[in-house]
Amino acid sequence: MPVLRSIRERFARERPFDGLRVGVCLHVTTETANLVRTLIAGGAEVALCAANPLDTQDDVAAALVERHGAGVHAIHGEDMATYYRHIEAVLDTRPQLTMDDGADLVTTIHASRAELLADGEILGGTEETTSGVVRLRALEAAGQLGFPIVAVNEARTKRLFDNRYGTGQSALDGILRATNMLLAGRVVVVFGYGWCGQGIALRAKGAGAQVVVCEVDPVRALEAKLEGYEVLPGVAAAAKADVLITATGGRDVVGRAHYEVLRDGAVLCNAGHFDVECDLTSLRELAVQRRAVRPHVEQHLLADGRRINLLAEGRVVNLAAAEGNPAAVMDMSFANQALAAEHLVRTAGTLAPQVHAVPADIDGEVARLTLDALGVQIDVLTDAQRAYLTTWDQGT
Amino acid sequence: MTAVSSSTANDFKVADLSLADFGRKEIQLAEHEMPGLMSIREEFAAQQPLKGARIMGSLHMTIQTAVLIETLTALGAEVRWVSCNIFSTQDHAAAAVAVGPNGTPEDPQGIPVFAWKGETLEEYWWCTEQALNWPGADGPNMILDDGGDATMLVHKGTEFEAAGAVPDPAQAESEEFKVFLTLLQRSLAEDPQRWTKIGQGIKGVTEETTTGVHRLYEMTEAGTLLFPAINVNDSVTKSKFDNLYGCRHSLVDGINRATDVMIGGKVAVICGFGDVGKGCAESLRGQGARVVVTEIDPICALQAAMQGYQVATLEDVVATGDIFITTTGNKDIITAAHMAQMKHQAIVGNIGHFDNEIDIAGLTKVPGIVRETVKPQVDEWRFPDGHTIIMLSEGRLLNLGNATGHPSFVMSNSFTNQTIAQIELFTKNGEYERRVYVLPKHLDEKVARLHLDALGVRLTKLSPEQAAYIGVPVEGPYKPDHYRY
Repeated sequence: MPVLRSIRERFARERPFDGLRVGVCLHVTTETANLVRTLIAGGAEVALCAANPLDTQDDVAAALVERHGAGVHAIHGEDMATYYRHIEAVLDTRPQLTMDDGADLVTTIHASRAELLADGEILGGTEETTSGVVRLRALEAAGQLGFPIVAVNEARTKRLFDNRYGTGQSALDGILRATNMLLAGRVVVVFGYGWCGQGIALRAKGAGAQVVVCEVDPVRALEAKLEGYEVLPGVAAAAKADVLITATGGRDVVGRAHYEVLRDGAVLCNAGHFDVECDLTSLRELAVQRRAVRPHVEQHLLADGRRINLLAEGRVVNLAAAEGNPAAVMDMSFANQALAAEHLVRTAGTLAPQVHAVPADIDGEVARLTLDALGVQIDVLTDAQRAYLTTWDQGT
Repeated sequence: MTAVSSSTANDFKVADLSLADFGRKEIQLAEHEMPGLMSIREEFAAQQPLKGARIMGSLHMTIQTAVLIETLTALGAEVRWVSCNIFSTQDHAAAAVAVGPNGTPEDPQGIPVFAWKGETLEEYWWCTEQALNWPGADGPNMILDDGGDATMLVHKGTEFEAAGAVPDPAQAESEEFKVFLTLLQRSLAEDPQRWTKIGQGIKGVTEETTTGVHRLYEMTEAGTLLFPAINVNDSVTKSKFDNLYGCRHSLVDGINRATDVMIGGKVAVICGFGDVGKGCAESLRGQGARVVVTEIDPICALQAAMQGYQVATLEDVVATGDIFITTTGNKDIITAAHMAQMKHQAIVGNIGHFDNEIDIAGLTKVPGIVRETVKPQVDEWRFPDGHTIIMLSEGRLLNLGNATGHPSFVMSNSFTNQTIAQIELFTKNGEYERRVYVLPKHLDEKVARLHLDALGVRLTKLSPEQAAYIGVPVEGPYKPDHYRY
């Protein structure tokens, strides 16, 4: 993660977070560890919990505590009660800056820890993912958002890369590790053709699968169609699926109607942030028997003899069954996180309590640092070209 | 509109000699893109290995073919030429070849060529006959064939002369075979030994394409092959390149020029997943179409499936496809009944060699059907229920009919094989029996080698130890004959 390393070196010199308490709720992985180290190098006191009960790498959690002095509250496979207890533990440190992936910290503060808002000590927060930004916008629309949020997810250097190329690769990695199946020749149905869905479709096609896309947005659907994918309504697509992946950010995207037509042996999984995209209640009602056939593969036997293989309990499959997004794309996302956190500190008190975009210069800086790390050189506009692009009176 | 030369030394028939300048300019551009042929010209310039060869060529009269023709003459051959398809001639190429590099339209000094775009069937077979008539000799002593029509004329002529009669043209199974039999009937009446003599004078044939090769193997099997043949089609540097990469390039070119239809988002159905079908599927997928493949061979079908294509029967997808392309080398692939079920303005075309993959005859017999020509080689056929289909090149190979065929670089591979095969058969005729041969591996590798420099390819060289380790000579050939590239 060379980009984050270069930022860490600068933070160590400039100490932008000196003495600042930062609460972090992110997937506890090696990549997050590097972000936490970067914050600590900048002078922050960090308390960390997981953004998903299945995503914690226990060795990483231990190393952060022992070697880097972070307070970590996360155990792989923790139950929901423990998960929320860990969020509370982070909030108990009275964070002045929040860093979220799914908005669990911020929404818990607003729902049940109003004293933290009343203190007025919270400078702001950052949000990593689409689902979290959706929740925070809803909070803002309700007039209840208590401090400014920077939507890191919407930085171009985040979602164009992390969501598309990162999730595209790692979601398939999760499916392969969980099932060891051959994708070539198989029908892979992708629900949702946003950045994540595009990446998943692209990589599945590259692996030789026949990709079918399901969408609700006509523009996205048309994009998928002209890219050469088959676009079908969900139930019709489910009837031919060997693998069905949800990547919508919505809920109950697939349910009883889909399960009723799935082929014997079909693989069902989710690449969206929350575990609500597949309606698991219906699946369990339909199943006459459930058994674990491999790690992360739970086979549901239906009354008519068909088997549906659910991966990772419907949780985000790239993190649960593989190792999450590769470090190279997380480097870009977390560089945005680190620089957005710095931006919140430097602008303390001046930003309205709204969801804000990542400033364009941060986006440009992350891309520039990443290109440097990749050894890529690019051209610069000449003055004459720049002038041409900014005048209205020069035509053909 | 056609120009016919009166001089016997320069007999030819082309559409318009005034196109020769344009043709010559394009030939010069193509020469740069055909490094294999140009290297062969240099290599054999002094040796003149084809001196004494009288080569009758039946191969699409395009710019690329012009470079082949002038390579053959540069190596010492006399050449007479026709197109092997009624639509595939590029008139400016034919004109330039007739005029020759040193002639003018007023004083043509090129080779006798009988070809123009849009021949009737009668004209097509008349042209083939003219190219086999050799002033000052019984006929050619070599054939360079594409699809096997010239070879078939000599063989069927010989067969019917031996039988003393030609079957009744009225009983012929197709319009084209009727024309063919009528020609032979007339020929038999004029000279009952004509084709027998021509056949005896021919040292061999080099065949360009799958369909022609298929005929040659059948004749070998039946013991009726009159002279040795080299199957150029199955050189790796021909079939893998021309069929695969050539069609990948020229299929979408043909569809675009014919219809200018947006390919992204369409469902394209490719019948056949051989080398041609593979190239076609890739080209349409590359433009954003969703490609469905039909196959009869389980291996090819599985290949298609593993590359992520849906494999279905034509019946499954006939009502939902937007573009249908036949690539099978077989007949009756798309029938009138299929076309009756297609979507309005579905595009139907063939890139296989012959025009029997799509049942045009059946289409004309649909009661109440109306054909409206949109532009040359693009027809809209309106069924009685009001829906139409767009037929490209009347079911003849659309990459040549609607576009300009394969690009020069790909054809350089094919034609370098042709030239080497002609030299082999002509100069080492005693070593060949009356059967079908493929070029030896080292010549195949040579053809590829001649094309690497132009692409800036840097080849790695085996060390003697590495060569010994895998048991091949340092200079090749590198693969056993059964190796599948």
